[in-house]
Amino acid sequence: MRGVLALLGLVALPIPAMGQQQRWEHQVQDRMQRAIAAVGTASRLPVVKRSGMLNTDEAASFQTTLTQGTSYAIVGVCDDDCSRLQLTLVKPGGSEIAKERDSESLPALHVTPGTTLSYGIRVVMEGCRWNPCWYAVAVIPLGKKARER
Amino acid sequence: MASLKRWVLVGLTACAVLALAYLPPRGVKSSDKSVFVGQSPQGTRTRQHAQALAEEWRNADAAVRLLEDRQQVKRDFVRASPTIVFRGATLPPHSVRNIETVMDSVWRGLGLGETKVRVTLVVALQQPSGPADSPTPLQDRVAYLTPDSTDRTTCIASLPAGPYWTLVIQGKRDARHEGFGRFAQWLQAGLGPCAFYAAYGTPGRPVQGWLAARNWDVGLYLGSHGIAGERFSSLDLLGNPRFSGFWDAVYALPPATVACLAGRWSGCSAAVLAGAADEATIPIPNVILVERRWWRVQRLLPGERYLGDVARTVGRDGFQSFWSSGQPVDTALALALKRPVGEWTADWERAFVRPIRLGPTPPLGGMAIALAIAVLALAIVAGTASRRQVR
Repeated sequence: MRGVLALLGLVALPIPAMGQQQRWEHQVQDRMQRAIAAVGTASRLPVVKRSGMLNTDEAASFQTTLTQGTSYAIVGVCDDDCSRLQLTLVKPGGSEIAKERDSESLPALHVTPGTTLSYGIRVVMEGCRWNPCWYAVAVIPLGKKARER
Repeated sequence: MASLKRWVLVGLTACAVLALAYLPPRGVKSSDKSVFVGQSPQGTRTRQHAQALAEEWRNADAAVRLLEDRQQVKRDFVRASPTIVFRGATLPPHSVRNIETVMDSVWRGLGLGETKVRVTLVVALQQPSGPADSPTPLQDRVAYLTPDSTDRTTCIASLPAGPYWTLVIQGKRDARHEGFGRFAQWLQAGLGPCAFYAAYGTPGRPVQGWLAARNWDVGLYLGSHGIAGERFSSLDLLGNPRFSGFWDAVYALPPATVACLAGRWSGCSAAVLAGAADEATIPIPNVILVERRWWRVQRLLPGERYLGDVARTVGRDGFQSFWSSGQPVDTALALALKRPVGEWTADWERAFVRPIRLGPTPPLGGMAIALAIAVLALAIVAGTASRRQVR
């Protein structure tokens, strides 16, 4: 019975449109999987992933809840035409907590929030030779940080 | 003494005859009406207002149709070349396949394969007139919907087929005599700015603003042939320089355009960079409506192929850097060309037309008469001087 339900669940999942399976999207999804595998996760919390495309100097934001005391790696990847991607972690009030802009097309942030909140992650496409450029961001929980004594 | 008086009289008479022949009668003003250009009578103010409203309605209607097309069009992801949609009639599958084959070869001819921005070509087949209570939709102007933040990867070209191509597409008229080459040319020209979006992606903001400010007059055609035939360009529409119609058309152009035709670098630079300094805001949706007589609003001749020629000259990487650049257009273009924009453009212009001569050019007959008069005057003076005797 469980097997049947699982199968039904799989069937009910939205099938991604063929159009989104372009070369560049495949590229960033592959890179994202490799980045997640490289960082590794010891947490039961799910990895949050977002992807999209942006032209040069355009930005996109999304919200994600980060749990108090858990360490996170926030990793961004982009396609071959992208030369610089910026990641910023923002508090609900709008103030910036961390920003990464020096790693060109593979920015990464490491944070351990002191409070469980819905944080904003802003992605800025700072350089794209052939617009638009595809990007993907993963918020990878690394596990609970040991309490300081 | 009597002889001298006679010569003076002859000279004065000759001057009077020449003045009568060359000078217009006093008080006469030149007519505003040209003998050669037909003028349509202007409508009443109410009629003009109604026409302006109808034009606005047509533009809005075209924008809505393009947005609907973007929502509804199902892409054909098996093919890398543009998806083709026909409006106004359902075509048999073999006709659609034939047209897709032509488009595939056009696409390959442009050096395009899989692109970040995909193109959908909506071919609007000619339909009988609609109900009289609404203006006729745009049936004679090409319209483009460029990618924006709501859909960054689709460029839609709406191409009215007109009566001739509608019959050809429907198989009711044989295009063999005209040749499918012309049909391919028509499809290629119809891609317009979408071909640039497909080849080089969405332009950087400076380039996008510059092109928007001049309604893409320098980026209407990516192909290497003429826009409407093997060697045809908008310059051909000026006619033959031997006829006055050519000069009427030339002097109806903006001063910088004329200066560029004369091979002046500063004029070419001004003609190319017109609109580059404007802070153009790109609307969403960004609909480009190409004028029915697009060659009349060009600021550079033959501007429709300018960016295509720049791209072929500087190569893909060079043009891509210019296209996506965040630098001002004049700087980015000069960097790509590795030469001042005006200088390169003047050379490019010279490849199509011999620089025209500007300024006063006296006719040969007039010059001959003037020289004859001068010689006559000198002869009179010399003759008179030789007969004078000092006593």
